[in-house]
Amino acid sequence: MKYTTRFGGEQREFTIERHAEGLVARRGDVRHALDLALVGDGQTFSLLVDGQSYDVVAEVQGEQVTLQLLGERFVVHVEDEREHAAHAVAGHKQGGRRELRAAMPGIVVGVKAAPGDAVAEGQTLVVLEAMKMQNPLAAEAAGVVVRVLCKVGEPVSAGALLLELE
Amino acid sequence: MPPFRRILVANRGEIALRVIRTAQEMGIETVAVYSDADRTALHVRRASRAVHLGGNRPSESYLDIGKVVDAAKRSGCDALHPGYGFLSENEDAAAACLAAGIEFLGPPPAAIAAMGDKVEARRIAQAAGVPLVPGLQEDVDEPRLAAAARQVGYPVMLKAAAGGGGKGIRIVRDEKGLLEAFHLARAEAKGAFGDDRVYLEKFVTRPRHVEIQVMADKHGGVVFYGERECSVQRRHQKLVEESPCAALTPELRAQMGAAACDLARAVGYVGAGTVEFLFSGGRFYFLEMNTRLQVEHPVTEMRFGVDLVREQIRVGAGEKLSPVPEPRGHAIEVRVNAEDPETWFPSLGRISRISLPGGPGVRLDSALYRGLEVTPWYDSMLGKLVVHGADREQAIARCVRALRELRIVGVATSCPVALRALQSDEFRGGDYDTGILERIDRKPPASRRELAMLAAAAARFLVAEQAGARAAAAAHGTGEGPPRWAQLGRIERQRRFVP
Repeated sequence: MKYTTRFGGEQREFTIERHAEGLVARRGDVRHALDLALVGDGQTFSLLVDGQSYDVVAEVQGEQVTLQLLGERFVVHVEDEREHAAHAVAGHKQGGRRELRAAMPGIVVGVKAAPGDAVAEGQTLVVLEAMKMQNPLAAEAAGVVVRVLCKVGEPVSAGALLLELE
Repeated sequence: MPPFRRILVANRGEIALRVIRTAQEMGIETVAVYSDADRTALHVRRASRAVHLGGNRPSESYLDIGKVVDAAKRSGCDALHPGYGFLSENEDAAAACLAAGIEFLGPPPAAIAAMGDKVEARRIAQAAGVPLVPGLQEDVDEPRLAAAARQVGYPVMLKAAAGGGGKGIRIVRDEKGLLEAFHLARAEAKGAFGDDRVYLEKFVTRPRHVEIQVMADKHGGVVFYGERECSVQRRHQKLVEESPCAALTPELRAQMGAAACDLARAVGYVGAGTVEFLFSGGRFYFLEMNTRLQVEHPVTEMRFGVDLVREQIRVGAGEKLSPVPEPRGHAIEVRVNAEDPETWFPSLGRISRISLPGGPGVRLDSALYRGLEVTPWYDSMLGKLVVHGADREQAIARCVRALRELRIVGVATSCPVALRALQSDEFRGGDYDTGILERIDRKPPASRRELAMLAAAAARFLVAEQAGARAAAAAHGTGEGPPRWAQLGRIERQRRFVP
């Protein structure tokens, strides 16, 4: 199976196959012997890459894999071939509409943009309060606000759609 | 004979557990208090008794002086430990305990009040001969401005007297920009606070945050347990603390310790307290005094081999201070916060899995357990990882090793940020300041990123393979694997563990 992975603006393709001698990962001409074993009842893996041992926590939620590896945390986007093809088609239809979602449950204490506003990358759009802290939520890229779906004083759950950009 | 019969622990989380542990070792019973959300918290389960206070809002539970003191009275407590935060620096809580005949394990109400008022605290510090950031503490006017700035020495900071929140602050590097900055600061102060008074003080460049741990008894005895350096901060939140501070000479340490003890004496201090200083260019300046046990007190405990909570309880009962042991080696603490390491947003959720570090010189103070719900009601700190090593280099290596062993699943933690700080050249070199987290590279190295992407793809492969094996097994009726998967003995074994 071929996987397209993305992390921090970088993209890599890996092909992973099970052979008689075990798992093999290929990226271009580079070939790695993998041995991946689940520890206990899920999420913790023992990964051997060409004999190098890594103790990995991987939370797989759809196409998002949250990894703990050597003390670091990585949120990696992984698509298999089928998903990759589906997104390529959907991407053309969508025309680049983007969403701002609540990164955590909290209370909306500020809405800094209105429909029709042109906003710059990094500009604060909504301020959420959680754990006594004010957390600004910023635009990931420049665009024009299409819809605002939250208002000041309103409690929102994690992942709630707050605003749409085009 | 234990010094007290029963202590009410007026806190939650790791610090409540920390106090309960020492009390148990001293043969003292403990009473936990809790909000609705904390019914199954570890401090409730580990205490001898527990009293429900009320709702999840701190004002309905941990901050309600009436409820807390009433719980102490009803459960027959003869002492109350406030921990940190909540009621720990509240003079009314200390006074209410006093009135109820319950020993408040902290300083007397007057000392809390004096140090809680920043202007009063500076006045007392100055009178006690403790160095302050040099400057004019009163309103400056235009005629005196240039002379005052020259006397203090550039760079200087102009600050609104009624200020707060960074408004009305101007940093001036030389005399050229002074007058303009003064007018701007005045206008900003007027606009923000309706008060255009501005004062001038030295701008401390590249400051380090160094604090002294003091302990005082009721017989006039005051000692200090060295210093802690807490310069690894973000948004004034400490993340990594260490002792000793790499920049202090024995002479400076003795001077800072003496200044801190003088201040404690000046306010009639009792119990554990911390005097915070800014340190820059070989000089130190008083910031504030925290009249409680600090979050980072285990750094001092590891280095001195003492139990500061035990000392608090002993001096609270009227006993004299124990002698201060000789410090040895180096200690580092890392705070484990439920925060996204990239965005610093709080990360909420249920802890589904934890794996704790161990081995030589490692201590973990936390109230974590599998199934714990991290809610928005309380502070995001989950616990503290503390290590001790023979020297600074060993302590850093040990801390990195222990951080890699620590696994928490269910919420994101700030640990990767601490890890990068510990591994940075700036931290390792020892010459760092409160701006360190802004400067270090927050991205993992390229080889690590590539490995992570490969591991993520492999994890998805295994999950898909197992799902396929399950589906195939289901299609064949019994749990017997179909021939196609028979070769994957390892996968089949694991299948049984998948929920």
